[in-house]
Amino acid sequence: MTIRNKAAIVGIGQTEFSKDSGRSTLHMALESILEALADAGLEPKDVDGVVKMGANDDIFEIDLLRSLNLPNLRFFNEVPHGGGAACGTIAGATAAVVSGMADVVITFRSLNERSERRFGESSAGGGMTHWRQYTLPHGLVTPAQWVAIYGQRYLYEYGYDTTELGHVSVLTRKHAATNPHAMMYERPITLKDHQNSRWIAEPLRLLDCCLDTDGACAAIVVSAEKAKQLKATPAYIAAAAQGTGSRAEMMTSYQRESLARLEESESTAAVIYPLAQLEPKDIDVAEIYDPFTPMVLMQLEAYGFAERGKSPELFHNGKLELDGELPFNTHGGHLGEGYLHGFGHIVEGVRQIRGTAVNQIANAKTCLVTSGVGVPTSAIILSKEPY
Amino acid sequence: MASLPRPFPQPDRDTTSFWEAQNEHRLVFQKCSRCGHVRYVVGPLCPECHSFEHEWTESSGRGTIYSFTTVRHQTHPAFVPPYTVLLVEMEEGPRLIAQLRAPEGVEVKIGSPVHIEWEDHEKQSLPVFELDA
Repeated sequence: MTIRNKAAIVGIGQTEFSKDSGRSTLHMALESILEALADAGLEPKDVDGVVKMGANDDIFEIDLLRSLNLPNLRFFNEVPHGGGAACGTIAGATAAVVSGMADVVITFRSLNERSERRFGESSAGGGMTHWRQYTLPHGLVTPAQWVAIYGQRYLYEYGYDTTELGHVSVLTRKHAATNPHAMMYERPITLKDHQNSRWIAEPLRLLDCCLDTDGACAAIVVSAEKAKQLKATPAYIAAAAQGTGSRAEMMTSYQRESLARLEESESTAAVIYPLAQLEPKDIDVAEIYDPFTPMVLMQLEAYGFAERGKSPELFHNGKLELDGELPFNTHGGHLGEGYLHGFGHIVEGVRQIRGTAVNQIANAKTCLVTSGVGVPTSAIILSKEPY
Repeated sequence: MASLPRPFPQPDRDTTSFWEAQNEHRLVFQKCSRCGHVRYVVGPLCPECHSFEHEWTESSGRGTIYSFTTVRHQTHPAFVPPYTVLLVEMEEGPRLIAQLRAPEGVEVKIGSPVHIEWEDHEKQSLPVFELDA
């Protein structure tokens, strides 16, 4: 048995993305879920499954259940590892609907990451345990700082300077600039802007870092069979996969052989392409999780779009532009649209497959969406047609 | 930025020996009694051969810079930038995170040799690195 094209995303919803939502994360989650259900032509009473992201979440599932009045859930699950969980929720939902454990599964992410709890500031104090005790007491306390260690090593091993990071940011912001939903709508940047932006943690500058965002997104997963009965154009889930790496820590897996590559993403790629019976060259659009620019370069290599150390070339030859061979982060990603912990990428992937994106790619038939990096991760491949 | 104490390790049943050794200014690693694998970070099981048996082996305190970052944006009240955090590959194999103690403006390069020094805090001594002369 395979899951290939046996499930589909049939509903999507999202709030505005802002610096201050003015309401609770639960409130926004409910808005985006109701929008996604309406988009699919479904109602809360149809829901019998929930898969949510586990880490850094302010929302207790029990509050969600009470708010939506969901007394008949058959399947509920939580995926760990921060942003690595985003596509993992779709993977869990897929497993549930393909196996018959649920019919209609809600997935979502809701954050007041700018107005309430900024991931870019540390609240660590007092006694540290687990993997954190080896890094936080030394002043390495935020994701940007943890990733800087990887980024520095990547640049060193392949002999690049930070302009190669800048190209990632410039292209992503270019796509955000034509997306009215993006926090950085009509605000493109130049490479000079990138190079002039202030240091955060070398080699990362401000414009290498994702935005802080308030907002929510949701997606509804049903079986392919059920999708045929619904009004929305389905985005078939050609494949969904999760992956881990060696000597794992949360973003500080510094004991592993190489810090110039992402083992978790490579593991996920090794599973997802065979599952989809596709190869990297078959992907029409790529929505790549972009917390910090070095992680984009390493992911493009992990998912087979460039040899190791060669992904910067993709940004030089126009390949990732909207009219290129592999349009990339068409919505503007975390660097330009907003930081929804990977869920904005999922929603945009569905729009590309439906043909309703603001930066729509003509004839987009397949879309790879990836999730958080430097942690156990996940990805999905969406397809316009079941095959 | 709200007041917040500097984070420190909180020794537990797996890590107490490791942190107590640091209070004696010794960096120690676990060495598997069965297969000899030197492991870090600290844990109850050898990830190579899955033996629980281990001994503690003392590091020479010498290594080379494997990667680093200079932090220039403050994100925690207890850590005031600029400061440089090194990832040092120790002679025994494990890579250790600790701050660089050096005059400001000194050039930091991957591959440079460093050695361990110690900073005593109220409850826990922590390593820092200095560049070899």
